[in-house]
Amino acid sequence: MGQISKVVKVFTRKLFPFILLYGCYLISHGHLSPGGGFQGGVMFGSAIVLLGLVEGTRITERRFKENVLSMIKNIGMLLFILIGFSGIFLGYYFMTDFLPQGAVGSVPSAGLIFFLNIIIGFMVGTGIAVIFYRLVRHKTQ
Amino acid sequence: MKKIIPVFVLIALGVILLSSINFDYGNPGARVSDYYVKHALAQTGALNIITAIYLNYRAFDTLGEATVFFATALGVFMLLRKKEEEGR
Repeated sequence: MGQISKVVKVFTRKLFPFILLYGCYLISHGHLSPGGGFQGGVMFGSAIVLLGLVEGTRITERRFKENVLSMIKNIGMLLFILIGFSGIFLGYYFMTDFLPQGAVGSVPSAGLIFFLNIIIGFMVGTGIAVIFYRLVRHKTQ
Repeated sequence: MKKIIPVFVLIALGVILLSSINFDYGNPGARVSDYYVKHALAQTGALNIITAIYLNYRAFDTLGEATVFFATALGVFMLLRKKEEEGR
């Protein structure tokens, strides 16, 4: 494989936190503007994929450990199901929105939608990163 | 001869597509979209009606989607193991 040029490396290092920040924005404003959990999560995942492609997976994995990412994904799935069942425990139907709606247009509003967006975002981002790690390692092994 | 048949197929397809422009599709059966547009903001408090639908009215569907993605990630995670994990 050819050497990756220094321009790409420097720009990736500088851009990486801003890509994560934009992902956070997309997730947290999912109920106000276009975007949402899946899209913001894909942005999280693609930021880690970009870092892994440019810096190499070994260096990336030192900061974003595969086990931790996989654990976040599993906990996210569990939380999603638990939130669904909490509707039943509180006396409503499955997945009922039991939280107050809050002021329309503010960021923590719309009840459960906000939290479900965050959970889906973290799940999708970490899942894509885990899939990327496994595929790359399988190829280079 | 081989080159004429695709041309005829394409022409036939074009005629069918052009003639279907003026089809009368009748009454659409699903009127739930109007309900969502009218009531989504008042019932869920979300400005983005799409999010209101897929995380409030259809949250069970989204749980299924998340499960499919989770199963995919888990499958890749299990199938493509590291060499040192092979024995486990």
